[in-house]
Amino acid sequence: MFMAALILMVSTGLFFFYLQAVCQKILRRQFTQEFFQSIVNANRLEFPSVRKAIENFGSPVEYPRLTVTLKCDFLALTYLLKNAANVNQHYSYEERLLILYFKLVFVSLVTRHWLKLRETPAALKLTAILQYFANVVGERVNTVRFGNLTASDYLLNL
Amino acid sequence: MPLKGDQLLLYGVQYATYALEVWVCASLVWGERWRRLKGLGLYVTSLFLLDGVARPAVSNFFGAGSIPFYYFYWITDVVLALGAFAVVCGFFRRACTREEKLWSFVRLLLIFVFLIVLGVTALSITRHYAHLYIMYIIELSQNLYFTCLILNTLLYVMLQQLAIDDDELGLLACGMGVQFAGEAACFALLHLTADNSMARGLTKFLAPSCTLAMLWIWVYAIGKTPQTVSARFMRGRNEALVEAVGD
Repeated sequence: MFMAALILMVSTGLFFFYLQAVCQKILRRQFTQEFFQSIVNANRLEFPSVRKAIENFGSPVEYPRLTVTLKCDFLALTYLLKNAANVNQHYSYEERLLILYFKLVFVSLVTRHWLKLRETPAALKLTAILQYFANVVGERVNTVRFGNLTASDYLLNL
Repeated sequence: MPLKGDQLLLYGVQYATYALEVWVCASLVWGERWRRLKGLGLYVTSLFLLDGVARPAVSNFFGAGSIPFYYFYWITDVVLALGAFAVVCGFFRRACTREEKLWSFVRLLLIFVFLIVLGVTALSITRHYAHLYIMYIIELSQNLYFTCLILNTLLYVMLQQLAIDDDELGLLACGMGVQFAGEAACFALLHLTADNSMARGLTKFLAPSCTLAMLWIWVYAIGKTPQTVSARFMRGRNEALVEAVGD
């Protein structure tokens, strides 16, 4: 009985550990250039400033602002992921997995705040996910731009 | 008779698993990755042939509740467990490509672990004299899966500790880990709840879902492995940037 309970706990923990490792591996993907910057500028996203604050001062901005900022950026980016230069208008499997991962890390951020633990690692993970989303959107938009019809061609032909 | 919702879901997961198994094999052959991932290809092919073709055929011929199907199921299960063990050994070999000394140690360790699993299984079933053969097969299969989970975790830790820059191998190991951890959790849950009908229903759905997740991670690993930029490349790029600014 004890062994079975131990195996259940260990294997459940390992299951989630491996899922998290897969998410981290997906986030490690290198893009040919930093596409996220243009998306951040165009949509006035705030996650890079959150990350900068953490890197420079070691702690994020005040908690209520942090959660609202990350949530708003997440909503904007998931909308763009689905609708911006996406012919199929649906998320890919890895995007779905990362959306789920974002939500879980967000819950862990809230829990850490309640328990008065360090929020910085969770906040950094969230900004990394948002940067990945912005890079994917930027890459897609860039592909459309360098396809048969550029954005300027399109505008000139209107 | 119309299918119930949970049965439909189970069939959905089952057929999605078969489709992904074919997809993994096709992408290995198509992208000429077959040579590099021979062991993985053989394992997925045998998984498809045994689980997707042979088991349903035997079940249709003899009946799902028959003794021959029971024997066939557990014998094929131990074959698949041995295959999984071989795949994990193959991953270790790949991780130690540049470390021959480490590989000679790891090889001995793997042989030792395999012999221990055989021995422990033999010892633990001495009480079941009546059905010695089939009990040994079932016990061996479960022990092998749990050993693979532990070895796979050791492999993942080794990849991190030795800073082996092989994202494809890392993802393949993660896929294997998801499958083994899920299966081990299912077995333990069944054992804890004394084969409770609710737990059985849950594990009936969870175990194939874990296989599906493993195959999806492998498809991603084979087709879209994230390319990490080496530090040397980054340094070179920064130097080029400094030169360009200097000009």
